[in-house]
Amino acid sequence: MKLRTSFLLPAWLWLALLFLAPFAIVLAYSFLTRVYVGVAPPWTAESYQRLFDPLYLVILARSFAIALAATALCLVFAFPAALFISRAARFKTLYLQLVMLPFWTSFLVRTYAWIFLLRDTGLVNTVLQALGLIHAPLPLLYNDGAVLLGLVYGYLPFMVLPIYATLERLDPSLVEAAADLGARPLATLFRVVVPLARPGIVAGSILVFIPCLGAYLTPDLLGGGRTVLVGNLVQNQFTTARDWPFGAAVSIALMLIVTLLLIAFLRRESEPLA
Amino acid sequence: MKRWLAAYAVAFYAFLHLPLLTLALFSFNSSRFTRWEGLSLTWYAAIFRDPQILEGAWNSIVIALWATALATVLGTLCAYGLWKRNSRTLTGALYLSLVTPEIVTGVSLLALFQFAFRWLHWQLGLYTVVIAHVAFSLAYVVIVVSARLRTVSPALEEAAMDLGATPLQAFWYVTLPALAPGILAAALLALTVSFDDYVITSMVAGVDSETLPMVIYAMARRGASPVINAISALITVVFGALILISERVRKT
Amino acid sequence: MNRRYFILGAAGLTACVRDPRPRLNVYNWSSYIAPETVPAFERECGVRVRYATYESNEEMLAKVVTGNSGWDIVFPTHNRLAPMRANGLIAPLQHGLLPNLNHLDPRFRAPSWDPALSNGVPYMWNGTGIVYNRSLSPPPARWADLWSPALKGRLTMLDDPEDMLGACLKKLSLGFSATAPADLRRAEREAIAQKPLLRAYINAEVRDQLVAGDVLAAQLWSTTAQQAIDSAPQLAFVYPAEGFPFYCDCAVILRESRRVELAHRFLDYLLRPAVSAQIVTATRTATANAAAVALLPDAVRRTETLYPPPEVFARGEWPQTLDPATQRLRDRIWTEIKSA
Repeated sequence: MKLRTSFLLPAWLWLALLFLAPFAIVLAYSFLTRVYVGVAPPWTAESYQRLFDPLYLVILARSFAIALAATALCLVFAFPAALFISRAARFKTLYLQLVMLPFWTSFLVRTYAWIFLLRDTGLVNTVLQALGLIHAPLPLLYNDGAVLLGLVYGYLPFMVLPIYATLERLDPSLVEAAADLGARPLATLFRVVVPLARPGIVAGSILVFIPCLGAYLTPDLLGGGRTVLVGNLVQNQFTTARDWPFGAAVSIALMLIVTLLLIAFLRRESEPLA
Repeated sequence: MKRWLAAYAVAFYAFLHLPLLTLALFSFNSSRFTRWEGLSLTWYAAIFRDPQILEGAWNSIVIALWATALATVLGTLCAYGLWKRNSRTLTGALYLSLVTPEIVTGVSLLALFQFAFRWLHWQLGLYTVVIAHVAFSLAYVVIVVSARLRTVSPALEEAAMDLGATPLQAFWYVTLPALAPGILAAALLALTVSFDDYVITSMVAGVDSETLPMVIYAMARRGASPVINAISALITVVFGALILISERVRKT
Repeated sequence: MNRRYFILGAAGLTACVRDPRPRLNVYNWSSYIAPETVPAFERECGVRVRYATYESNEEMLAKVVTGNSGWDIVFPTHNRLAPMRANGLIAPLQHGLLPNLNHLDPRFRAPSWDPALSNGVPYMWNGTGIVYNRSLSPPPARWADLWSPALKGRLTMLDDPEDMLGACLKKLSLGFSATAPADLRRAEREAIAQKPLLRAYINAEVRDQLVAGDVLAAQLWSTTAQQAIDSAPQLAFVYPAEGFPFYCDCAVILRESRRVELAHRFLDYLLRPAVSAQIVTATRTATANAAAVALLPDAVRRTETLYPPPEVFARGEWPQTLDPATQRLRDRIWTEIKSA
């Protein structure tokens, strides 16, 4: 028992100094009044009242829709890939590392790579034109589709890894049993494998959905700044608008929503982040 | 079905890697624009002539190594402690830290440092960046190590203690070696998130602590430059090599 | 393996700490200095200069606002000086330590934002205008031309509420720093009317798309525009007829600085004509230093993008500091435009 206490000591220190203390500061900011840069008394709940403005509610709803769409697409793309890796006879680690490899270059570079591909004189349009498939460049960049693409590309591994982890621990005899009982491969997949991979799917969805909800660089760079998501709203309040109290209030609201979602998930799933 | 999966996997990996491969390919282009004009190493030479890039890279390495070492040690201890007996508060806070928008983490840490500096006459610098990186990478380490711990049977430690080992010895000689691959994976992940971070770092960086992502960001904001392509190709190669080495280490 | 990392890291940290020379910490915009500038000063004065860069006034302000950031010199835009002064962040300039101040362009010796030059030394300046492809006929000459349906999908505006709303206000012949809510609402309607034509709201990243020909017209800062024109002669720049903003970034010594005298020496060094000329040659900005301009090649001096002739200069407006209520309304309008 004593050993455990001392092992957890640094973690408690982290909790107090690097998690609760900054959180308390943000909370305090959200109830203060803005000055030229930063905050000052008097205390007020005005920032929270502003949150209920339809303008900001619409932004929140749009962010939810985009994050949800990105999560669904990630799931559709990641599941077969995870299945492939878990069933590979050899090179499993290599396949896994290959999923992670693009994520060692900076996030900015990854986004920049898509600008490079998607713009009018980018590679995709050039190739399509050279093949004679199109005559004028397609407007691929600076729309919601490009934002969605960037988000899916950015967070795909967070979906692949947890699903792979559950598939890997899946008892192969269950699949065999299903086959023995006459289930066809697709039926086995949807009736046996997918339900058993549920913890991984849930974990992956959480890991993708939440950062997508707060994303701001992707909508800025690939969306051409034509839409505001809640991440941009927060970012903008802390930078150009210099309205820290409102930025803090939006952050607190965002974290509250995320926490409630997490609790709802954790209630339903016994071991979600396995 | 198997064939379909394999075909899909090819498309999947192409989607993951082609964007960066084309970027890397154009880092060897002599033109600074997207027309191919000929093979050249100009942009690689430019990296090594630019003191800002070199200093940024050096700062990033120093910060990432310190943050990784600290976060890995603390995170492993924490995961082990939680494995012994779970604490809902701590687990909840760890997950919450993982899902806090980066900009909020950045601003709140900056506020925290500035608050503390009113009494301590310190200044923002390399070490505030290290502290911030430990703050956000701890959760990653705990999660990865915890996942590995689930495959470790508590019976092993009990057996060791039955044979006369102290709890510390049981941890050190029995559980820790079994955890090694998980710890290595966690360290790599911590290294990655630390090396990649821009948003939080730019908030808490001070004198002497401009990192490589900050330099890249400044360059990208000025417009596309093949030097960025070259840097990203180099980073990918270096981290690829690091993974290969870590695989070797894990096998031996 | 981990032990080696530790040693490497420790070596790195001590290497940074150990250097007996006095240190000066300078925090400037990115790409706002020549590669030789800082090393030459270090050699000359036997000091060490820690030089780092930021991307926006707000990024810099967030750090210096508590008065304990470690920086000695920063470079805010002119309309940030007054609030910084009001918040007690700025150390007054001692003109006795700045003999080179007499090289300043007369237009910057008593600027409206700082008539006695007590807060900051005007460093570099630039304006916002339209950069366009010469294939456009007729070429755009007014902000209003950016509302032409012919530009649909090939047009960008700056991702900056001050400049973007400013252009709309100017199109309506209103002041750039307008505060009346009704005026701002009219500008908002203009912006929303223009939005379907826009490819994106982006800043300096548009440069490559202009060069490549993806974008035919863009609202852009003169420095960035000049860089684009340098690499693509088919581009040209115009200061719109209705009026446009000028921005001047000023070198400021922070009140927290413990090396005020050394900081003045650095500012005076930056004011030397040769040094200033070297910087603008490397960065393609316009210097506020008249003696430095005289040193520049004729072709550079006549670049109208950077140094607009007097009749164009007269149309420019120096944006003022906005009061909090206006700032908040503008931010709300900006969010509405983006959500539209």
